Amino acid sequence: MARTDPIADFMDGVASRGHEPSLAKATGTVRFEVVDGRRTERWVLTVTRGELAVSRGNAHADVTLRAPRALFEQIFRGKANATAAFLRGALQIEGDVQLIVLVQRLLPGPRASRRKGRAAGWAASRR
Amino acid sequence: MNDREVKILDGNTFVVSDSRGDIEASPTDAAGLFSFDTRFLSRWILSLNGERLGALSVDDLQYFETRFFLVPGTGTVYIDAKLSVIRRRTVGGGFHEELTILNHDDERIELTVRLDAASDFADLFEVKDALKKKGTYSNRPERRRLVLGYERETFRRETVISASERATFDENGLTFTIRIQPHGSWSTELHVVAGMGGLESAGATGTRRRLTMEQSLKRWLDAAPRLRCDWEPLESIYRRSLVDLAALRFTPEVAGGKSLPAAGLPWFMTMFGRDSILTSLQALPFAPELAAGTLSALGEWQGSSLDDFRDEDPGRILHEMRYGEMTAFEERPHSPYYGCVDATLLYVVLLDEYERWTGDRKLVRELEYEARAALAWIDDYADLQGNGYVSYKRRNEKTGLENQCWKDSWDSISFRDGTLPGFPRATCELQGYAYDAKVRGARLARLVWKDAVLAERLEQEAADLKRRFNRDFWIEDGGYFALALDPEGRQVDTLASNNGHLLWSGIVDKSKAKTVAGHLLGPRLFSGWGVRTLAEGEGRYNPIGYHVGTVWPFDNSFIAWGLRRYGFKEEAARVAAGILDAAEFFEGRLPEAFGGYERSLTKYPVQYPTACSPQAWSTGAPLLLLRTMLGLEPHDDDLIIDAALPSTMGRLELLDIPGRWGRIDAFGRGRIEIPG
Repeated sequence: MARTDPIADFMDGVASRGHEPSLAKATGTVRFEVVDGRRTERWVLTVTRGELAVSRGNAHADVTLRAPRALFEQIFRGKANATAAFLRGALQIEGDVQLIVLVQRLLPGPRASRRKGRAAGWAASRR
Repeated sequence: MNDREVKILDGNTFVVSDSRGDIEASPTDAAGLFSFDTRFLSRWILSLNGERLGALSVDDLQYFETRFFLVPGTGTVYIDAKLSVIRRRTVGGGFHEELTILNHDDERIELTVRLDAASDFADLFEVKDALKKKGTYSNRPERRRLVLGYERETFRRETVISASERATFDENGLTFTIRIQPHGSWSTELHVVAGMGGLESAGATGTRRRLTMEQSLKRWLDAAPRLRCDWEPLESIYRRSLVDLAALRFTPEVAGGKSLPAAGLPWFMTMFGRDSILTSLQALPFAPELAAGTLSALGEWQGSSLDDFRDEDPGRILHEMRYGEMTAFEERPHSPYYGCVDATLLYVVLLDEYERWTGDRKLVRELEYEARAALAWIDDYADLQGNGYVSYKRRNEKTGLENQCWKDSWDSISFRDGTLPGFPRATCELQGYAYDAKVRGARLARLVWKDAVLAERLEQEAADLKRRFNRDFWIEDGGYFALALDPEGRQVDTLASNNGHLLWSGIVDKSKAKTVAGHLLGPRLFSGWGVRTLAEGEGRYNPIGYHVGTVWPFDNSFIAWGLRRYGFKEEAARVAAGILDAAEFFEGRLPEAFGGYERSLTKYPVQYPTACSPQAWSTGAPLLLLRTMLGLEPHDDDLIIDAALPSTMGRLELLDIPGRWGRIDAFGRGRIEIPG
């Protein structure tokens, strides 16, 4: 059975989004350096006013994120928070911070306990 | 006088020392060099030949720079000093200290100059709660520097100390062995650099040079409107507000070089949704660029997913951001924390008010996504009970905030008999802000985003909310609006200052406004200095209770604005006069809050002890009161001026008010007699 790869899954998911309205202001490239023992896997996300494209390789980037594979996997599954990881020094960021703050919007959140309000399908029961 | 606390700062880097310039912190004591919510020096003590020094005087040169004049000996008896010492300290990326020793004697002297240095690398939260550290320390003396380090897993912070003159470094500090010629002097430059363990490479920790800071302060003051007033204290109150607001500016990397006001100095030098927004609103006629910085930075950090720990939802504007160890290890949720309801509503209010003043539609277009997400959040996520009212209940039960409105202390929301309602709580001012956000969002949708469908929907929702609110929150026999609705929809029936914010929002039916204004200026709420947070006679009323009886200058500035909105010019002038009279007692710097005692009883306002001074929205209060008294209101490309001043002010001039009209002068003459 093929091993699941949360990093490839995340990147595939991002690529298939095509246009992301929450990033309409953003333009730039982000390189993810996934450190796996002695090997480093590189992914490049290109954002052009919200248009998303993903590639592999070592292209020039406006900002680089570097972390061990296990941490990236957790971040991409919504099990670790990227900002806290950065403050902890576990996730290293070099370059355009403003871009990365926006790109964070692509990250999944943790599974929330409960949700009310219209988003959870509340019928408007206004008197 | 050695005990006096001296604070200097640049952004979120600041030093708290005694008046000798020494730092001697205990685990719970607030002295030290702090940067990004971490203490980088807890000990920094100067001695000459093993003897501590005594302070002659302290010059607070600028908010980022201080000069200490010292002599050997710490006794209170006058000492015939043969030498004196000057420490000139500037903050930025750590601090820089110019140490000069002057020999006044006819003979050459030999001296051992010693600086003891240590750091406990405490997180600000730990200083507050006296918690134990989990990592390990290291002190590494090298030939030309001393490196103090702290490590916990990948978390690293270090303090690097070096000097321009030759020194010997050991684990606990550095020593100079020097000679000074008769009537000569010796000096060295000491550098203390706060190292963030790699975070710098991300450009997250910009430092500014002294010259730029001086220039920036000058430019700031030059750009602000000029004020002249027959009542002289107003001129110094105004200047104090401008300088303090300059000190409170904070330039996070994410704001693209734009500044926004932090909440308070020094402990709250960070992004706060509510405080940054309300202060930007207060300062709009004076420094509109603060609003632009606030909207950009908060917009970029807008919530995008559901996260219980951080009380985050898509579209929600953050409450507070922190950078320390406890945040890094998720022992606190501030990365950032979103547990605040009003910031998201007020975000839209600020965006619209900013456009009305500046005509900057470019920013309104840039932030269209964020503003729409904030508007969607109101109905999608903030209507916790599905009853059409905004309410709050924290999902982070351990470290989240219970009360997510501005009155955020535990006992702020109560029934008349003092009992506390359950959750979710729908406080009244949140409904007012939601109404205002929808009305203003509709204006922006029509004018800038060209979306008539959204505009119509928002207007309809706003009208519907107003109708329901005036029915469900109105306490008929009291003639005021309930503080909140509890989870069962019952009215939390206390009379509180929140009624003033309702006037500001415009949600109040015209027919009800008069009795509401009557309460605000009535004996139960109005102390003579200002409107109390909670009315006298309520179960939990306490004139020195944080949100249950004290007078908050910021609260009053918005109440005055609300009174004017409904045409109560005299009442607004009375509130302004009271708060500005109080400001004179506080030497121009209004505290966060002061006692709710009757003015005739105490004769002077009694300060409520709080850690932060200046506090951003207290600093902004005189500015908003000026706007209110002069009746400044943008109308298309004009600025309407309709002054209603207390007679004690005499003539008031505010010159070169910036806005879409270019620059305009406003004049007024005091004609309103203030009773009492």
